[in-house]
Amino acid sequence: MGKRILVVDDAPIIRLMIKDIIEYHGHEVVGEACNGLEGVQMFKELKPDLVTLDIIMPEKDGIEALADILKLDPDAKVVMVTAIDQRESLMKAIRLGAADYIVKPFENERVISAVEKALGLATEEQ
Amino acid sequence: MGADKKKIDKAIELIAKLSIDKSSVAFSKIVKQGARIVMENAYMANISEATAKAYSQDSEVVGAFIDLEGDAPFKFLFYVQDTDSLVLTDLILRKEVGTTKEFDLYTQSAVQEVGNILASAISNVFSADFQIALKPTPPVVLHDFAGTVFEEYLVDIAIERNEVLIIESQFNIVQSNIKCSMFLLPYPGSEKVLNYISKAL
Repeated sequence: MGKRILVVDDAPIIRLMIKDIIEYHGHEVVGEACNGLEGVQMFKELKPDLVTLDIIMPEKDGIEALADILKLDPDAKVVMVTAIDQRESLMKAIRLGAADYIVKPFENERVISAVEKALGLATEEQ
Repeated sequence: MGADKKKIDKAIELIAKLSIDKSSVAFSKIVKQGARIVMENAYMANISEATAKAYSQDSEVVGAFIDLEGDAPFKFLFYVQDTDSLVLTDLILRKEVGTTKEFDLYTQSAVQEVGNILASAISNVFSADFQIALKPTPPVVLHDFAGTVFEEYLVDIAIERNEVLIIESQFNIVQSNIKCSMFLLPYPGSEKVLNYISKAL
């Protein structure tokens, strides 16, 4: 059964790409937010099964939003989305409790693999 | 003094080359297989030459500005002709070229995202090769004439100086005949770090 996913990214084209990949694999994108502030608010309202969260965003960045989301729900499943090699930010996100990360530019397979692994749906080969 | 300047120019050139290599890899990945990037040029120019060159193009472009904040602050600009931003959008969305016909939220976002990924690739050159942490800010996108976009890019620095070094590179996506421009402008605060890098050369 498909899971409910919230996509948070300031770039509409990235939100569209992630949405297409997720929906193609049978999950539902229940909301899209364009910054961290809106993302945390939508997380509170929608209670999704998983959040994909960009790191560099205006208003509130992905690291701050991740901390807020995990404060609201310590078991929240969050997959970080980052532009190439922002290692320091990624390490910080993983230490905070992010489930996995996707590096942009990404392949479809990597997105669905990270999402389904975080949701506990992934098969071994993924 | 002259010798120092020479060394700093050399340091900037090295950073430019490493950045272009890294950016090229990231860029070909964004636009998917089959796209081949040919770097046409990478050179140093002064502020007036660069602005005059931008004003000589009467076409409209879409540009993404990003500040690379940290120990060696830089200002980054990536731009393409607005008609090429439509092709870029199709390539990123894996659509047949020609599908996107109008400039909209997604075409703007395509340029924003390419800028973001390229700037991040450059910031990685600093952290991986020189242990200098740089953090890109969220991109700001501007759709206007090339000269206006370029002037906006230089406005902060032009207030303080008449001349500044600019690293410019141009590359083509051969299959789709898209010409892209990328600029990297060292902020005044970055000189100390460039000096440090130059000493290591």
